[in-house]
Amino acid sequence: MTKLEVFNPVARSAEVHVDPAPRLATINDKRIGLYWNMKTGGNVALDQVSKLLSKRYPSATFELVVGSVGAAFRHVAANDAARVAANFDGVVGTTAD
Amino acid sequence: MIEFEKRGVPTVMFTSAEFVRDAQRSGENFGLPQLAKVVVPEPFTNHSADAVRKLVDAAIDQVVAGLIEPLRDRAQLVQDLVFLDEDWLDFSGPDQLSALEQMQSQFLVYGWSDGFPLLPPTKRAMDRMLSGTRRDPQEVVAVLEPGFGIATVQKIAANAVMAGCLPEHLPVVIASIECLAEPQIYLRNKAMSTGPAAPLLVVNGPIRKKLNLNSACCALGPGAPSAANTVIGRAVRLCMMNVGHTYPGISDMDTVGTPLKYSMCVAENEEASPWTPFHVERGYEASASTVTVHFVYGICELKTFQSHDPEELIEIFSSAAMNDAQVSTGYWLLGRRSDPRSGTSEQERHMMLICPEHAEIFRSAGWQKADIRKAMHRRSRLPFKRLMLTKEREAMALSHPELHWLWDSPDTLLPVLEDADCYEIAVVGGTLGRGSFFWGSGAPVTKPIRE
Repeated sequence: MTKLEVFNPVARSAEVHVDPAPRLATINDKRIGLYWNMKTGGNVALDQVSKLLSKRYPSATFELVVGSVGAAFRHVAANDAARVAANFDGVVGTTAD
Repeated sequence: MIEFEKRGVPTVMFTSAEFVRDAQRSGENFGLPQLAKVVVPEPFTNHSADAVRKLVDAAIDQVVAGLIEPLRDRAQLVQDLVFLDEDWLDFSGPDQLSALEQMQSQFLVYGWSDGFPLLPPTKRAMDRMLSGTRRDPQEVVAVLEPGFGIATVQKIAANAVMAGCLPEHLPVVIASIECLAEPQIYLRNKAMSTGPAAPLLVVNGPIRKKLNLNSACCALGPGAPSAANTVIGRAVRLCMMNVGHTYPGISDMDTVGTPLKYSMCVAENEEASPWTPFHVERGYEASASTVTVHFVYGICELKTFQSHDPEELIEIFSSAAMNDAQVSTGYWLLGRRSDPRSGTSEQERHMMLICPEHAEIFRSAGWQKADIRKAMHRRSRLPFKRLMLTKEREAMALSHPELHWLWDSPDTLLPVLEDADCYEIAVVGGTLGRGSFFWGSGAPVTKPIRE
């Protein structure tokens, strides 16, 4: 048998780690941000989420959030994320296509 | 979404079934593989509002679960890419060619190939390739998104070997990777998209002749005259895959794909150009060798054999710019491509490769590149209502509230690009009146080539 040894062309990744946020015990009484990245249909979906969850959790509140930068897709800048963290207990987002 | 999780806000995100692996990969890349997802069978795009509501109705329990249930362990989730820890990989067979065949088929299984046969990065090939640069093989040239791949000179060299590069091509490939890593390029935006954005490389300066880069007939390929162009362009794309980890169907979600992603590299025909070379316009000395990377969505001709008047050329060329099925057209109405991490803000720019014959027509009439740009901007206009057919109204309202009045005057003609400077111009090609027009995605970046 003949051996062919080749260099691995795939790069290692720089390590990135984020601790997940603790989940909510309940959605009752919570403020839920509805984050729309401007992809088509996402706002309709979030509006429906708001309607359905308002029926299930009448004491929860829902508010649309959009990012402050971008064009066809709007992104969350650091100050946007800080504002969300200060004003909301959870986020439902659209859309990762 | 991960930015919210980082700040202690539990988040759940909608994605459609076909994009689950992409979403999963994104979560892994950005440090949260367990990112909670609501999976719907179809995307929300191209669906009526009622259809979208029905998709949400069926998935609402997932939304609740994403906010209140513990996140699932990664091990339970879909496996996608193959990453091996070994620096050196062994393949075997009854003879060398059989072992090479095994490598080819295994690299396809791993997803590491662009589909064409690869040259093997053996120790001898690697040593030979690395002789093409004075840089240390372990030097980190860049960290490439979306996978935050560490682009050492050695990893770049391996992909250059696989592409078929010669050692003297390596400095161009390295400089191209430096371009990709510039915040202005916003690589994540290009590499993880449903669109066909592909890197167009334009090389300037003395290195063109040294490397036999083609700037004339068949400069964009194919064939032997463009062999250097082809392998350099291919190497950059292989680096995007194997170093940046943008793989088809996983993070590269290009709906249809494009052959432009195999390789796209030209040299400017500086000798036939009546104007300042492309890189000189961008601040470099004429004697410098540079590479420019510009992501582009597609190509069409700039063809006329009839015209010998510059205004007539513009009349024809502007029809290429006025393609409202193309995402860049009127994109400025929604804002600019912006990376929220680095604060960049890039206009959409198109690339015009004007052939020498047409360049001479412009020159004879006393036109400089600035005149061409102004004329293209003046002529390439479409009605507001057509430009908005493909765009979200709310996005425009956020970016340009001062233009709200256009909804009352929908036939108003608007330029397809934000301003005249958004037309990039280089001279490329052989004899006869056929150039090429590329619809750009954001702005180009130019870097010097260090030999």
